[in-house]
Amino acid sequence: MSFAADFPKDSAFNKAKARYFATPTDAVVSALFAAFAVWILWSLANWALLHAVFGANQRDACMATEGACWSVVSTRWRIVLFGLYPFEEQWRSAIACVVMVVVAALSCVPWFWSARRLPPLWIAGFAIFYVLMRGGWFGLREVTEQNWGGLSLTIFIFAAVSLLGMPLAIVFALLRRSDLPWIARTMALVIDVIRSLPLLSIMFTFAIVMPFVLPDWAIGDKLYRVIVGYALFFACYQAEIIRGGMQALPAGQEEAAKALGLTYWHRIGYIVLPQAFRNALPPTINQFVITFKETSLVTIIGFFDVMASGRAASGNADWNFATIEMYVFVALIFFVFVFTLSRYGAYLERRLGVGRR
Amino acid sequence: MKLALKALLVSTALVASSQVAHAQVAGDSRLKTVQDRGKLLCSGHNGSFLGFAEVDDQGNWKGVDIDLCKALAAGLFGKSEGALEIVPISWAQRWPALQSGDIDAVIKVSGWTQSRDTELNLAYSQPYFIGAFQVMSHASLGAQTLADLDGGSICVAAGTSTERALATYLETKAIQAEVLTFENGDELRNAYYEARCDGMVEWAPSLAASRVDAPDGADAHTILPDVLDLEAEGIIVPENDADWLDVQNWMLSSLWFAEANGITSANVDEIKANPPSATIEKFLGVTPGYGERLGLSDDWAYNMIKEVGNMAEIYDRNLGSGSRYNLPRGINALYSDGGVFYPLIVD
Amino acid sequence: MAAILKNRRIRDSVLQVAFVATILLTIVVAAITARANLDAQGLTSGFGFLERSTGWRISFSLIEYSTSSPYWKAILVGILNSLFLGAIALPLATVIGVTVGVMRTSGNGMAELVGVTYVETFRNVPLILQLLFWYTLLLALPTPRDATLILGGIAFTGRGIYIPGLNVTGGSAFVATVVVIAGAALALWLKARRWPDLNLVHARRERRVLWGGVVGLAVVAMWIGRIPETSLMSIPEQRGLNFREGIRISPELMACIIAISIYGGAYIAEIIRAGFNAVPKGQSEAGRALGLTNWQIFSRIRLPLAVRIVMPTLINQYVWLFKATTIGIAISFTDFFMVISTAINQSGQTLELIGILMGGFLIINYSIAWVLNRVNDAIKLRGTQLRI
Repeated sequence: MSFAADFPKDSAFNKAKARYFATPTDAVVSALFAAFAVWILWSLANWALLHAVFGANQRDACMATEGACWSVVSTRWRIVLFGLYPFEEQWRSAIACVVMVVVAALSCVPWFWSARRLPPLWIAGFAIFYVLMRGGWFGLREVTEQNWGGLSLTIFIFAAVSLLGMPLAIVFALLRRSDLPWIARTMALVIDVIRSLPLLSIMFTFAIVMPFVLPDWAIGDKLYRVIVGYALFFACYQAEIIRGGMQALPAGQEEAAKALGLTYWHRIGYIVLPQAFRNALPPTINQFVITFKETSLVTIIGFFDVMASGRAASGNADWNFATIEMYVFVALIFFVFVFTLSRYGAYLERRLGVGRR
Repeated sequence: MKLALKALLVSTALVASSQVAHAQVAGDSRLKTVQDRGKLLCSGHNGSFLGFAEVDDQGNWKGVDIDLCKALAAGLFGKSEGALEIVPISWAQRWPALQSGDIDAVIKVSGWTQSRDTELNLAYSQPYFIGAFQVMSHASLGAQTLADLDGGSICVAAGTSTERALATYLETKAIQAEVLTFENGDELRNAYYEARCDGMVEWAPSLAASRVDAPDGADAHTILPDVLDLEAEGIIVPENDADWLDVQNWMLSSLWFAEANGITSANVDEIKANPPSATIEKFLGVTPGYGERLGLSDDWAYNMIKEVGNMAEIYDRNLGSGSRYNLPRGINALYSDGGVFYPLIVD
Repeated sequence: MAAILKNRRIRDSVLQVAFVATILLTIVVAAITARANLDAQGLTSGFGFLERSTGWRISFSLIEYSTSSPYWKAILVGILNSLFLGAIALPLATVIGVTVGVMRTSGNGMAELVGVTYVETFRNVPLILQLLFWYTLLLALPTPRDATLILGGIAFTGRGIYIPGLNVTGGSAFVATVVVIAGAALALWLKARRWPDLNLVHARRERRVLWGGVVGLAVVAMWIGRIPETSLMSIPEQRGLNFREGIRISPELMACIIAISIYGGAYIAEIIRAGFNAVPKGQSEAGRALGLTNWQIFSRIRLPLAVRIVMPTLINQYVWLFKATTIGIAISFTDFFMVISTAINQSGQTLELIGILMGGFLIINYSIAWVLNRVNDAIKLRGTQLRI
């Protein structure tokens, strides 16, 4: 281009020009998309900010405006976060959630990526969470699982499923690629069957059918049954991811280990699994993302998770009209968690990808 | 849960043959299970059901059904705090949850129907609430009766007896209307307010509650006079558990008895100190007998009244003048006030 | 040596037998316990209830259904509704996904920005929330009395979306659909069979004949199935409180379609983008050297290659999306899961109904995977031009 010399080569103007207005077609497309984006943003801002009511307990102002009624959130946000947890004890629920989030954040630090560090971290975090929530020790008032709810219940289910599902997934993956044909085949069948069922039907089954099928002592609370069901579902998906990671290993690795006379458990524990996990890290993160999102299904089988408590928060005589604001608030909560995790996954994928080349 | 059939037969025989004053609670009765556990597992909701089970700003359950759960727990254990678990369950899970032992009794505004009573092997207590099914419609449509909604659409909650009642009514009156079902009360009401449907069928109390609460004001909606059906709401326990069913029936009766005799949570201590009659003396557990026959403590009725008050108090607090809904009690009052309810004889 | 080998073989056999036996035993014990528990509670078991009439209504059904229909028919309605939803939402999700995938690899900054915003917004919020959101939004459309017809026959109302339709019986519409699907399958099969020695000119003529025949047959089927004494086209018109004539898409179905196709589209867009990125640059450069236009390079080289690369991933995604249709229950779309759930509540036959649910989903999902895998076999590239 003749006029390219007039500008420094990588000026902001030039960059923008190359990205947005390289050809006339590009310019038109850019303008169209820009107009579309501006229109959406403007309508959103109009509703969510300009005409919205923010302060707590402003039902009448809400009824009058055509904008969003954030008043329902500022009045009843505690229900969404803590559900039915006793009001004066909600600080425990808050700390417990923070602990779990810190544990999740710490596990993103590569220093923790080893079999000696990660499981203890999660078990400790989970134990702290459980003790804080459940109480009954250290002078804390006992609060049973029936009164847990809101975001803390969602986090609890997610953490419990991950903690239970991961070891299960490793076992499943090892059985699935066992040298013994019948074990491998049976496991493949079990994994395939569970993977082709909808999560909702598995949760439903564990919630209401299992009590008929299990002996008395094994029934347990509905919450734990559903967690076991979900963990099983998680494990079947995760097992295939781990198996994928194992398949990516060169056969020579295991053969070399065999030649060195390592036992099966040493081979698996020191050679195969660490590398398989490294290979399978991005899809594993993705699996966690999906698992967290799908926790929201438990509301359908009658749990007071963040979705249900959102509905309860807008479901009384005062706030029945402000359902959509509650949905948006709950969506934002999910977005913060899921977006962070998925961005981290993408970052990891890039980093590992760079390392491999 | 895993009842041995033999044990059941033996114990029923035992109860039948022992005609003694001190009632024997069957070893496999849910009553025994609950007492041994020290906790009552009662049905809650996943979301809210206006007036009957909702959540206040502090995250506590409240509502008529919740108060009945509290009364039951207080009757069993002296007070409900620490002895009552409200288990959130969805509508569709009521029966499986009861059969599997996740909850001990369903107090979840459930109508008494023949199929539930027989095929599902459930046992109903006497009704504690009579709900009429009526239709609320947008006032702007100018409908006077349900027939005016011919060709329109009507929304109703899914999987409940309401759905059947509406289907039958439309069929008998030859009204052509699209029937839409919703799993969740919130969605049902939203659909109606957004004019997705011309009429919304609900059980009258929640209909009136919804009307008070309408986003465009109560006057924009009329409740049509057609009564599609009446539903008698009872407490549900598993079949073949007479001891546990007795407790439910006498709990309800006690709440009405207290109302009929002017005993409230405020004055129950006073009345217990100076009982006006021998019957009330017995009722409040000053003299023995009232609780023992059921396998409970004798002051169980006192404990209930002390905690939740009599039936009138429960109603007022959650649906009546003490609540935002401000619903007239109507047919749900005691017989002496023009209602259909009555206490059983305390002897 | 032989002793050790023998020993090892014995050990292996014992292990395997023990493993399989444990799983079988678990199932048997579960069945016996269930039996005992049901007997103890006096609950009837068996599938006799399937013949009983249901007594509840279903708001959306592809086949005739009334309150006196038996349970098996209600379940069939549910299965058909689920399949119907899948048959509409999955192709739509694909269209959205491919469009956004193309946007994200187009090189136009603005298009990429919009694409990435779309993907990140809709992938990071649970499907059930999105469904409720779209549903609330759809219900906020004007009432039929205030709505106007646009484009001569389409109306957006809070009561549903009305579009023109044909006055034909459901049976003939079904036959026409089957004919079209069979035609597509036949075309794929022919293509797969003749791959190595494909005569392009001959194939094109054959394809024309095939599709001409299929369309002709479909039209004939619809013509035979005309509802007498009505005009051929049925166009919505305002009458009384509502629109009459035409086809009404209920807000429940519409919300499910929108939510699943937008959510699925975001996932498919990512898959397609990965596919485009995996097409070697040399392929497009070769096309350019041959003098192909940009559009030809896109439609004849990059898109077909990208789709073939990601086909296995896409198949998994489709099965996964189909399973996601179960959330219709949240807004009362009477899909398979919702019918089962209602039936459990009304009949109390929990175990049997859950069994039917599981069996149904296994069959449907295996069928979807099987069909798509056949499609994959038919179109996948032989040889080693591509490596991911």
